[in-house]
Amino acid sequence: MAAASPHDRMAAPEGAGGFLAWLMAPERRGPLLVAPAVIVLFVMNIFPLLWSFGLSFFNYRANRQDVPDFVGLRFYERVLSDPDVWDRFQTTAVIVGSSVVLQLVIGFLLALMFAREFPLRRILLMLVLAPMMLSFVSVGVFFKLYYEPTFGLLSQFVSTFTGEPFVLLGTPTGAIVGIVVADAWMWSPFVMLLVLAGLVSVPKYLYEAAEIDRASWWRRFRTITFPYIKSLLLLAVLFRTIETFKLFDIVYIITEGGPGTATETIAVFTYRVAFQFFRTSQSSALAYIILFVVIVLTNLYLYAVKRREQEVA
Amino acid sequence: MAHLRVSDVARRFGAVTALDGMSFEVEEGEFYCLLGPSSAGKTTTLRAIAGLEKLSRGRIEFAGRDVTTAPVQGRGMAMIFQTFALYPHLTVRQNFAYPLERERVDRAEIGRRVGEVSELLRVGHTLDRKPATLSGGEQQRIAIGRALIRRPKLLLLDEPLTNLDAKLRHDTRAEFKRLHRELGMTMLYATPDQLEALTMGQRIGVMRGGRVVQIDTPRALYEAPLDTYVAGLVGAPAMNLLPGRVTGGQGGLAVDFGVAGIDLAPGARDLAAGTELVVGLRPHDIRLGRDSARGRTVDAVVHLREPLGDVTVLDLRFGAIEARGAIEAKMVVREEQGALIPEGSAIEVTIDPADLHLFHAETGVRLA
Repeated sequence: MAAASPHDRMAAPEGAGGFLAWLMAPERRGPLLVAPAVIVLFVMNIFPLLWSFGLSFFNYRANRQDVPDFVGLRFYERVLSDPDVWDRFQTTAVIVGSSVVLQLVIGFLLALMFAREFPLRRILLMLVLAPMMLSFVSVGVFFKLYYEPTFGLLSQFVSTFTGEPFVLLGTPTGAIVGIVVADAWMWSPFVMLLVLAGLVSVPKYLYEAAEIDRASWWRRFRTITFPYIKSLLLLAVLFRTIETFKLFDIVYIITEGGPGTATETIAVFTYRVAFQFFRTSQSSALAYIILFVVIVLTNLYLYAVKRREQEVA
Repeated sequence: MAHLRVSDVARRFGAVTALDGMSFEVEEGEFYCLLGPSSAGKTTTLRAIAGLEKLSRGRIEFAGRDVTTAPVQGRGMAMIFQTFALYPHLTVRQNFAYPLERERVDRAEIGRRVGEVSELLRVGHTLDRKPATLSGGEQQRIAIGRALIRRPKLLLLDEPLTNLDAKLRHDTRAEFKRLHRELGMTMLYATPDQLEALTMGQRIGVMRGGRVVQIDTPRALYEAPLDTYVAGLVGAPAMNLLPGRVTGGQGGLAVDFGVAGIDLAPGARDLAAGTELVVGLRPHDIRLGRDSARGRTVDAVVHLREPLGDVTVLDLRFGAIEARGAIEAKMVVREEQGALIPEGSAIEVTIDPADLHLFHAETGVRLA
């Protein structure tokens, strides 16, 4: 302890092992314990996020060693005026629209079914919820095999009628249908859960009162049931729209965006731009445009959540 | 026309029997009360009449028609639920109009009737609000209005005052009487509160274990309860039920309860000496002081006073017989008298033999 600085003396009066003792002090134990997680989060998430945001304003390619030069909003301009981008947005919109509608319809019908008691209800409910619990990759692989022209179940089934193998993914429409069915299969249970929660929250005596008041089935649904599930339905639509908008895994595994670019969603397109064409700056700009869309949708979602809370309270 | 007959109705939920041979009749235009503690089957009875419960056995006839298996919608009845069951997402006006939708009533007529009902119930100022923004009393009146608007032949009321506070209950009791008088509608009213039944009912059916045990006017129920169960249910504070035995007395037979024998009322004299009894005595029938002209005077000790404002309830102990333990009873005195009697003081009370209700010791059935 030849040259103890004033700082050392203040922080660790005990002397030896000064820094360690200072670090382990009770009031710093909490921050210390969360530090590893914060560091990982920063290195893996926050830094790349900010860095890529910066990159979107520079001319840069990840596979070259050029010094990035500042170009301002040029890549945003280029992305927004690129007809390919708008084409992929359209593809995404078609997939999102049809998949969300399909999920809503199926989820809603499932919820109506599971809202009443019947034998084996619990077991069936677990089975129906299973797809939601699977990973995207396994769902993708399932459906890829299912659609397989030579030995896939679908093709075998169709060929018993037509005598020819059926190539669903061969046409643009067929490929989109294939993607939508896979996504809807996976996520209809989610819509069902939300709607079911709403259906269960309707007090039974309201239906009895309505029965005494001679309300028809449709009127009962419209004036009693629907108001209870309305906000939950909105939540389901928004949540599924946001999620499907980012759809990547299933598409990439089943069709890789094909045939041609028929099923190339905006997420797959961004991936290609970034890691196949290595237009890093352009993909960053595109990613931030997507982020912006998702943030708008998320805010709508949060607004809906808040409204539901107010209604329930 | 709107005559209701329930005959031998039973309803079982699995192993639980909710209704077990329920029978009673309600005359047209009558205000009929079903009185019983919770789980006696009152709600199940009303729900069965409305058609919300399937019967395990029995028959329900209404307005000269067998409606046992008729659908709920076709019965021409309205019901007011304990929870009010207002449609939370509709305004008061829409709640009122709800039952008229199916009636093929035109818009002008709906508007007229909504106006009529809201005037009758004095809720005109709430018409464009949602039920959740209204007070309990207002919600209650909306529920009544929705039931009345279709002009049902029979109105079923399932403990409609249970969810209201004491003051509102009092006001609403008067309201129900007024409505019944003004509309002349047949009303079947279920309640666990004897006060509601006594003040409103023209006739009362006392329920126990899924059946009606006694049907009578309020006065008759009060004066001659059929058994100890009804005696304990009707009247407040509840009738004192004391152990007694018939002994040989001065003027024939007497009931010994604790300290002394009391001459029996005439008409009960054919009881054999030694018969064990339950003696019923209303708290209001015990008189303060010595009055040998009116009955037998008994010594008692006041061990608790409950001042209620206008009257005071005294908890009495008769005698201190170690073998049997002291016999306890409640009596009611006017406040100004009660204020003079401290806890622990010894008093004399007079009991008129004519006021005694005698019940069989085991079955509880009324003897005289």
